[in-house]
Amino acid sequence: MSAAGRPGAGWWLLILPAFLLLVVFYLAPIVQVLAISVTEPEFGLENYERLLTSSAVQRVIFTTLRICIITTALALLLGYAIAYAITLASPRARGWWILAVLVPLWISVLVRAFAWVTLLRRQGLVNNTLMEAGLIGEPLPLVWNEFGIVVGMVHYMVPFAVLPMLSSMREIDPRLLAAARGLGASRGEVFRRVFLPLSLPGVIASGVLVFIFSLGFYITPAILGGGKTLMVAEWISLQILDLIRWGLGTMMATVLVVAILVTLAVFSRIVDLRRIFGAGA
Amino acid sequence: MDGAYRPGPFGRGLAWATALYLVLPILIVVPVALTDQRYLSLPEDGLSLRHFETVLASPEWLGSIWQSFTIAVAATMLSVTAGTLCAIGCWRISRRATEFVRVLMLLPLIIPSIVYAIGLYRYFGPLGLLDRFLGVVLAHGVTGIPYVVITVSTALAAFDPRLEQAARGMGASLSQTLRWVILPRIAPGIFSGAIFAFIHSWDELVMVLFIASRDVFTLPRRIWDGINENLDPAMAAVAVLLILFTLLLLMADRALRRRSEG
Amino acid sequence: MSDTKGHALALRGLSKRYGDFVAVNDVSLEVGKGEFLTLLGPSGSGKTTILMAIAGFVAPSDGAILLDGRDITPLPPEKRDFGMVFQGYALFPHMTVAENVAFPLRVRGMSKADRDAKVRGALDLVQLAAFADRLPKQLSGGQQQRVALARALVFDPALLLLDEPLSALDKKLRAELQEELKALHQRVGRTFVNVTHDQEEALSLSDRIAILNHGRLVQAGAPGELYERPRTRFVADFLGKSNFLEGTVRGAAPGGFALEAGAARLAVRLPDGAAPLAEGSRSLLSLRPEKIALLAEGDAAENVAEGRILAFAYLGAGFSLRVATEHLGEIRATLPAWKSPIAPTEGLPVRLGWSADAAAPVEEDAA
Repeated sequence: MSAAGRPGAGWWLLILPAFLLLVVFYLAPIVQVLAISVTEPEFGLENYERLLTSSAVQRVIFTTLRICIITTALALLLGYAIAYAITLASPRARGWWILAVLVPLWISVLVRAFAWVTLLRRQGLVNNTLMEAGLIGEPLPLVWNEFGIVVGMVHYMVPFAVLPMLSSMREIDPRLLAAARGLGASRGEVFRRVFLPLSLPGVIASGVLVFIFSLGFYITPAILGGGKTLMVAEWISLQILDLIRWGLGTMMATVLVVAILVTLAVFSRIVDLRRIFGAGA
Repeated sequence: MDGAYRPGPFGRGLAWATALYLVLPILIVVPVALTDQRYLSLPEDGLSLRHFETVLASPEWLGSIWQSFTIAVAATMLSVTAGTLCAIGCWRISRRATEFVRVLMLLPLIIPSIVYAIGLYRYFGPLGLLDRFLGVVLAHGVTGIPYVVITVSTALAAFDPRLEQAARGMGASLSQTLRWVILPRIAPGIFSGAIFAFIHSWDELVMVLFIASRDVFTLPRRIWDGINENLDPAMAAVAVLLILFTLLLLMADRALRRRSEG
Repeated sequence: MSDTKGHALALRGLSKRYGDFVAVNDVSLEVGKGEFLTLLGPSGSGKTTILMAIAGFVAPSDGAILLDGRDITPLPPEKRDFGMVFQGYALFPHMTVAENVAFPLRVRGMSKADRDAKVRGALDLVQLAAFADRLPKQLSGGQQQRVALARALVFDPALLLLDEPLSALDKKLRAELQEELKALHQRVGRTFVNVTHDQEEALSLSDRIAILNHGRLVQAGAPGELYERPRTRFVADFLGKSNFLEGTVRGAAPGGFALEAGAARLAVRLPDGAAPLAEGSRSLLSLRPEKIALLAEGDAAENVAEGRILAFAYLGAGFSLRVATEHLGEIRATLPAWKSPIAPTEGLPVRLGWSADAAAPVEEDAA
């Protein structure tokens, strides 16, 4: 029975600045990208034909999909372990676990990529240590390849994977777990039969979030891929900045946006999108 | 959960390994920054602050830090003003009517920056905003709005709508209600949003790669060039400074939240 | 004291619909100058919606709200000049008691000196002057309630609206504050409109009560009038407790009739001026449990029912009995413990008696 009130025009005016800024300086540039993809070099779907004909374009797409799927799977596994530990931790330990997730989340992606380069390059700390210990004779190729990209991307994505899973695990009534053990289930059975099914919505939400973030990821793959393994975002940048092929670049950008929106649309039927983005802040 | 149910050894081991994987690589830059060598390595004969000195004496690094800072401050003001007003408006007007605005607010979080960056590259050309302070502020400010909307909306969700009714019922106008009742109550949420919007701009690279080139050369842009061209310990010193700065901001955020809860 | 300070409020055919749901259905009601009116009903009866419409937070779908004959329906809440005490009080947590009370004066642009004087006066009125610099969370529930009252009265509002003002308090405090609220109403002499679901509070506070159910006004009147002469079964049941006896009207006359219920014939006397019932029609009687007496051996009453005690409960001040009667089904009676002629036990045969004017005919409520 609480009154909805009668919002006057004044309240709409409050929304106006943000709305105009987003339409004029966000939506318009993006719509322009979509428009260029069918108008340059000439009007038509010529750019999109490349999706079917150009093996270079197809290779970039497949590389991106492969890396994204591997990244998502690994980020979910590691993120699940952390979220699980946080959910079951004592209140004091919980604070430290959460810190271990939040601090990397907010530290510059550049700093993190730089740290990985320092560790993984030929004369990096990992290779040097292993060689001094006599474990290897030649430096291992740990970076400037797909392996390096995956290491860096998973590192970036784990915190994003943790947050939605954590919020869904927190909704699980701890008495259920105690009750299941009381009824004679082993720890493994409690996890498989009770905890895992109840936390599944969070896992799906995290999976969607990590996958769509990975698809358009630029900085980490560009630094750790060393220009040899190209993902979609870096390929787009290459088309625009170096090859001045606006048609191809914007075509791939459009494909990227469509792929992300389709993924969201498909999964919004299974899982509440608010669960994905509500926990993101 | 008083000892009723704990993870097994595998789960616990994996969680610890993951936590180390998340934190250790970041910490590795600290000893590297303190190295006494001239190349990227661990300290050999002792610790040295020379690379910090190099950075703090370099007009290029200092210029970029200053530029990034002023851009982030201006962008944050833009995000906070527009985002706070928008969150309050959406909160007060019914859900359904503002659904479109809410979806619009999510777009900058969903759509990859690379797509927006190439769009801006073309869009800003005719407007004369390429390689301009204002251009970068607009780009960062607009994409920072969602962070503010989310944190302020969270604060508003905990705000008792009867306080607003009480104020209006006692004769307060919209602007009086905003200034004296709503804003003081949601101030912690606004500060939180401001911190996130600031970090967003301060760290942002992809847009800057496209819409700035010489006159605007932000800190992330300089680090990017450094990583791609010459990997030296000064980079590690910059990384350490950045980490410290981010930690400071996060601690400020936590302290504010704790105070508003207490 | 001064009816001149109060204002009269009128609702004309007020309705509020949310889609298909009718929250308030064609309610018309007059509130006199200086009157204390209570809107009473169960949750979902539309009482709060009516209050919110009077305050201006809910726009009516139909009908009008008049203040001293002037239509105020289109005015926004901030232009109505009504004081309101919200459920849970809605005190601003970031302002001190004095700042809370000063708020309505501040928005009216009153000077600091005038404000301070008024705030002091209002806090004196509720005996909280010593707490001016505290924050609301440092006060007890009862003190918060009084701050809310001071804040609602400080700007001399045309009307004071109270939304379940005592519901957050425990029982003992509630009784105390009821008295205080009543005294305050007499001191300030303003028109009060109160909303509650608590029938005791409504009976003790109000000059008049309007009983609502399913968005409709069922009956309005002085507390005693509603209690003694409920119009419908709902009113009799909601305001206090009641037995209901159903039967056929026999021997209808202007002063009363007899109700034929199975083998029993009950004498009913109607108050002066009440309309006689039609001979042979079905009628429902409301009989208050406290109007039933336990008859000792040889005692006589205008109506007598014999039965056995089904169950009883000791309530301190009295007993509550459930008696299975021969002809009238189960009847509840409450008896003062100190003069009970018997010690109740289950299965004990008893005779219940009541006078012919104890029961009142009521209507069935429309579905």
